Amino acid sequence: MHEMSIAAALIDQVSSIAERNGLVHVDRVEIEVGALQLVVAEALETAFSVMSNGTCAEGALLVQTEKKGEAECRECGHRFEALIDSYLCPQCDRADVEIVAGRDIILSSLTGAQREEGDLS
Amino acid sequence: MKIKVIESVLKDNDAVAQTNRSTMNAAGLLSLNITSAPGSGKTMLLEKTITALGPDAPCAVLVGDLQTSRDAQRLAGCGAATVQINTGRGCHLSAAQISAGLGSVDLSQIAYLFIENVGNMVCPAGFDLGEHKRIAMLSVPEGDDKVAKYPTLFQPADLIILNKIDLAELLEFDVEQVRADLARINTRAPLLLLSVRTGEGMEKWFEWLDACRTDTTGRKD
Repeated sequence: MHEMSIAAALIDQVSSIAERNGLVHVDRVEIEVGALQLVVAEALETAFSVMSNGTCAEGALLVQTEKKGEAECRECGHRFEALIDSYLCPQCDRADVEIVAGRDIILSSLTGAQREEGDLS
Repeated sequence: MKIKVIESVLKDNDAVAQTNRSTMNAAGLLSLNITSAPGSGKTMLLEKTITALGPDAPCAVLVGDLQTSRDAQRLAGCGAATVQINTGRGCHLSAAQISAGLGSVDLSQIAYLFIENVGNMVCPAGFDLGEHKRIAMLSVPEGDDKVAKYPTLFQPADLIILNKIDLAELLEFDVEQVRADLARINTRAPLLLLSVRTGEGMEKWFEWLDACRTDTTGRKD
C-alpha cells in the first residue's frame, strides 16, 4: 500500500498550492500516473479520499490518467515504449534502459473555489 | 478556478534522496539499497558480509521493518553501526527516514552503508533513497516466477542475487526461467547465484562489492 505515501505527498502538495493561490476549497485534482509505477488506481483513490478529510481537498474528485512508459536503450540509444513487464529494445534485443517517462506521478492541475474579495475567513 | 501545475508528486522524496546521495558521496562511502520479499535472506547476507569484511571495511546498516528491532540486534552483534527504522504502517523506506538515519552514524568511519529495505516486492521499488547501488534479491523457495511477477523490483536493480541456491534441486527451481525473464526486464545487472548459509558463490558477491566501492570512491562529482 505505497499508495498511502503517494496520497499523503499529493495532499501536502495540493494544500500548499491551494494556499499560495488563495483557494479555499479544492474540488478536482488531476494527476498523471506513469504506467511503469505499480500504482493501483482504486487504492490511490481510497487513500486520497480518506487522508484528505479535514484538508482543503476533502471530498475532491481525483482524476487519474495513465502516462505511457518510455525507455532509452543504453546500448543503441533507441527510444521505445516500455511496458511494465518488458523493457526489451526492439533494435538490439537488450533490456538495458534508462526510463525516460512513465515512472513518475505528476500533479497536472487542481480546480477549486477562490477566496472572495473582502472575505477574511 | 483551474490551476495548471505539472509537478512531480514525489519531488520532496527525490530532493531529499539527492541530498542523501551528496552526503554519502562526500563521506566517500558506498551505499547499497537491498530490496526483496520478507525471508529471502537479506539480514543473514548482511551478517555474513559484515563479519567477513571485518574492521578493514567498517559497515553501517540502516534497517527498515514495520515492527521490532530484531534485525538491528542481529546486525549490531556483528560489529556494524546499526540504526533500526520502524516504519509502523509504512511498507517501504523513504528518503527522509534515510536522512534521519544518516544523522546518527559517524559516516567518516564507514566503507559500506547498507540499507535493508522493508521486506516487500512492490512498494520499495518506486522510492529513491539516494543509494549508489540497488540490489534486488530473490530466494529459491519463493519460486522461479517472481522476476516475471514483480518486474518493477528487478528492472532498476544494479545487481540481482538469487539466494538459497543450495535448495534449487530439492525444490525443482528452474534457474533458466529466471534468466529468460530477466532477458526482457534487465540484462544490465549481473545475476549471482549463491547460498548465504553454505557460503556457495559468496566470493562473487565480495568481488562485486569491492569493484563497486573502488568505482564510487574514485568518482568525482
